[in-house]
Amino acid sequence: MDNNKNHGLLGVKKNRAILVSPDEEFKVLLSSIWPEDVLEFTFYSEAKGAVEDLFNNPPDLLVVDNRLQDVSASDLARLVKSENVYRQLPVIVCMDEADFDNPWDWNKIEVDDFILRPFIKSVVRDRVNLTLCRALRALDANPLSKLPGNTSIIQRIQTLIDRQQDFALAYCDLDYFKSFNDKYGFSRGDEVLMLSARIIVNTVKSFAGEQTFVGHVGGDDFVVITSPEIIEEVCKRIIFSFDSIVPNFYDMEDRKRKSIVSTDRQGNIQTFPLMAISIAVVFNINGKLKHFGEVSAIAMGLKKKAKENPKSSYVLDRRTN
Amino acid sequence: MSDQDLKTSVKGQILSTSDLPTLPTVLDEVTKLVDDPNSSTEQVAKVISQDQVLSAKVLKMVNSPIYGFPGRITTIQHALVLLGLNVIRGIIISTSVFDMIQKAMSGLWEHSLGCALASGAIAKAAGFDDPEEFTVAGLLHDLGKVVTAVQLPELNEAVRMTVKEKNVCYYDAERMILGFGHDRINSWLARHWHLPPNVREAMTYHHHPDRAQFYQQTAAVVHVGDFLVRLFEYGNGGDDQISYFKPAAMKILKLKMKDLEPVMDELSDQFMEISDLTF
Repeated sequence: MDNNKNHGLLGVKKNRAILVSPDEEFKVLLSSIWPEDVLEFTFYSEAKGAVEDLFNNPPDLLVVDNRLQDVSASDLARLVKSENVYRQLPVIVCMDEADFDNPWDWNKIEVDDFILRPFIKSVVRDRVNLTLCRALRALDANPLSKLPGNTSIIQRIQTLIDRQQDFALAYCDLDYFKSFNDKYGFSRGDEVLMLSARIIVNTVKSFAGEQTFVGHVGGDDFVVITSPEIIEEVCKRIIFSFDSIVPNFYDMEDRKRKSIVSTDRQGNIQTFPLMAISIAVVFNINGKLKHFGEVSAIAMGLKKKAKENPKSSYVLDRRTN
Repeated sequence: MSDQDLKTSVKGQILSTSDLPTLPTVLDEVTKLVDDPNSSTEQVAKVISQDQVLSAKVLKMVNSPIYGFPGRITTIQHALVLLGLNVIRGIIISTSVFDMIQKAMSGLWEHSLGCALASGAIAKAAGFDDPEEFTVAGLLHDLGKVVTAVQLPELNEAVRMTVKEKNVCYYDAERMILGFGHDRINSWLARHWHLPPNVREAMTYHHHPDRAQFYQQTAAVVHVGDFLVRLFEYGNGGDDQISYFKPAAMKILKLKMKDLEPVMDELSDQFMEISDLTF
């Protein structure tokens, strides 16, 4: 059989995959299906070692065997899928029939597909191909931060409103981002957006057991949805981390001077403070709000108030309290 | 794999960095903290900062291009905020434990930790902001020695024997046996791992701070820190010698020898304190 014509991924650029499995036969099977210039596998017989490679150099596909000894396949999948940076990486688990004695909770183990032993070569081939192709299709994720975009944000808000569930929504945006972007260029501007996304996500996640959501509206605007009880503490911690880390993103002289100086088109010299983060918080308590539009309208009003302060600050919508 | 390796001149052997070991006590403590929902990133950062290998892994990861801000993050505390505890769990899974290596390089951990403390104190005395950045540089200054010990145990043994037989310093012995010193391994590691330029230059030029290009001050702080920790005979950098002290370092730092006196007082207290926490 001619592998080069029979792999089914014609026209697909070179992809890299990682297989974590103690099963030697399976490795041989996989390497026999695709030529290396279409899909190249790296093999690990245990999760140790694979994880570091995975985090540093994410492949296009991860195949995890449920026969793994050191870490369970579902834990490894969760480790990958719970980080927005790696979330888009498609994951396939390999199972034995006995693994299905009880149904799996696919909401918790967010893998993309599974393959079942005994492996049938053609089925393995097409499962992998399908998973790869599906992953290539567009998602509603911000391409920079990989956080959910507007469609998901609006859906999330409206669902909570419809369920009359109490929530707090924090609308975060950066002050003086534009002048930073103008002086240092958009690639360093993007670094700051990535930084902001990481700070917001990890701060919200550090509250164990809370239902939280972080979305990226676009540009320097982010949305956090969580419970009203913790939102003020969330704001404080985001501001603390942002203010302590962001000076690292300036050149040394600007960092020391705590401002940037630039010349506008009219030739006037202008001074801008270091970036700060403004947070406007809207509450929905006792089913007060009816439509997601209200949320964003209130948030925009508050945002102006938060921005009056050149330092990082948050403003809570007292009207609902 | 090939772009991750550094070839030594002896026997054509190759160094790779895939699986560096760390200390069991530190690893246990971090694991415990990471699994406790009530622990703070400050607590985790404090423990990780006691181990040069874990610290290097954390900085390597947060500065990797995947996160989108390579070379920007210089402190463990900031790195943890940005990585999140999930990724720290991942790092722990992929970290092996210091055991046999500890015999081969006994004292290096104490030496590194001591140099970290000394670098922080010197940075403070020189009036620099953010002494934490200098502490990290001090902690990592001998990482190249760990890599050799793990990857090339035979050559490492030859380096040790040369130190003993010829009564030379470790750095000179490395150059005789490997063809280069740990400073070169450091430079190579720091570049591969996208470590921030100030940490990278300190790792690369801690023996020759005046050769650093942009961050002579960081390199000079670590140079003096290395000297002081050897003077105190805290830990062991691989030989019994006090490293060569370059007067240029003090010039770079705009310090006089007598400015080091309060630093040394502070250090002797700190060394007493941390010596309780070693095994």
